[in-house]
Amino acid sequence: MDDRRRRFEAQALPHLDAAINLARWLTRSDADADDVVQDAMMRAWRAYDGFRGGDIRPWLLTIVRNCWRTSLGDRKRRGHVALPDENTRLPGDEMTDSGPSPESSAMRNAEGRKLDAIIATLPDEFREVLILREMEDLSYREIAAITDVPLGTVMSRLARARAMLREKWLGEVEASHAL
Amino acid sequence: MPCERAQQLEAYLDGELDAAGAAEVESHLETCSECRQAKAQFEELRTALREKATYHRAGAPLRARIGAALDKETPRSVVRRFSGTRALWTGAAGGATATALAASLAFFLFMPVAGDPLITDITNAHLRSLASEHLIDVVSTDRHTVKPWLAAHADLSPPVADFSRQGFKLVGGRVDFLEGVRAAVTVYRHGAHVVNVFAWANYGEALPEFATRNGYHIVFWRSGNLTFCAISDTSIDDILALSRLLKGLSQTDARE
Repeated sequence: MDDRRRRFEAQALPHLDAAINLARWLTRSDADADDVVQDAMMRAWRAYDGFRGGDIRPWLLTIVRNCWRTSLGDRKRRGHVALPDENTRLPGDEMTDSGPSPESSAMRNAEGRKLDAIIATLPDEFREVLILREMEDLSYREIAAITDVPLGTVMSRLARARAMLREKWLGEVEASHAL
Repeated sequence: MPCERAQQLEAYLDGELDAAGAAEVESHLETCSECRQAKAQFEELRTALREKATYHRAGAPLRARIGAALDKETPRSVVRRFSGTRALWTGAAGGATATALAASLAFFLFMPVAGDPLITDITNAHLRSLASEHLIDVVSTDRHTVKPWLAAHADLSPPVADFSRQGFKLVGGRVDFLEGVRAAVTVYRHGAHVVNVFAWANYGEALPEFATRNGYHIVFWRSGNLTFCAISDTSIDDILALSRLLKGLSQTDARE
């Protein structure tokens, strides 16, 4: 049993960031994302013997997404749905960053926050494919398996997500350059 | 009116086309200015998404919650202990880390084992450091700065080096306390992960060889009169790799 726990932790926990990132983008709330991920990790733990090996990340992300769908149903029944909130957790909050100078990172943060806000406004089905493709670098096939839709649908949703994002983001960039 | 190859271009930029398909798109790009522009915009957007949008990371409280929830569903302690060489060899033969275990043999003193409160202390010290209130006292990527600082403030002089080339960037050091004993801590960054390496003078207290607590992996080893412990949320193999580099350094230091 110890060994199972150790194997699970060694395999699954390195992907906790990917899990929380997906959950945070899906739920758009830190607290909800934590709940979804905890639920997902426990389900993964109980289902671990059924994991057939290979890359564990898509398997975990599938569970995360399913837990989110379930929580969404629960919340709708209870009559409240999370609205996109301001980022309560900013990049670099958890660790001191030895990165670029304060000014450039402040500028990057301001731009990043705008981009975050735009992504948050995308409808769920477009937002999830975009996060899986661009932030998790997953293939169309993996995304199709995680989101449970045909490959063609992944492609068209991705194209649509990018078109929406492009329109809003490039509009923002041009507007800020014009100032 | 978008070019009819727009979708194919996107699949190309997502790395989803085979060689023939890719070659087709590349030759099309030479003649279609519209697709060239679309490609430039696509790349701008991708860079923004990957470098500017927030990539959320799991906080220490969530890790602790998951660790506690797993504890409830794990019947026995997860700390692996050795009661003798037979257990060692069974363990070493079983895991993927067999070589690492064997390599650590030469450095580790095996004794009847204690050490649970210590693991709690180490995990707590690591969590405190991640909460960023106390990650680094001396910020430097230069071992010639960190090592003397530790010698002056912790009265210990553990081996320190920047292993950027091997993926472990030295970011600094600090002083911490484990069970009331002063420890010199060297901080490394491995990708997005922080690895804290504790070193302290330990006179014979027995320790497990490695442990996992709240999702953090902990590797112990001994070298000279110092006990070392590396802790991080990165994979156990990564931590073992760093411990091997540091053990190599101890040997070099000893020869100097």
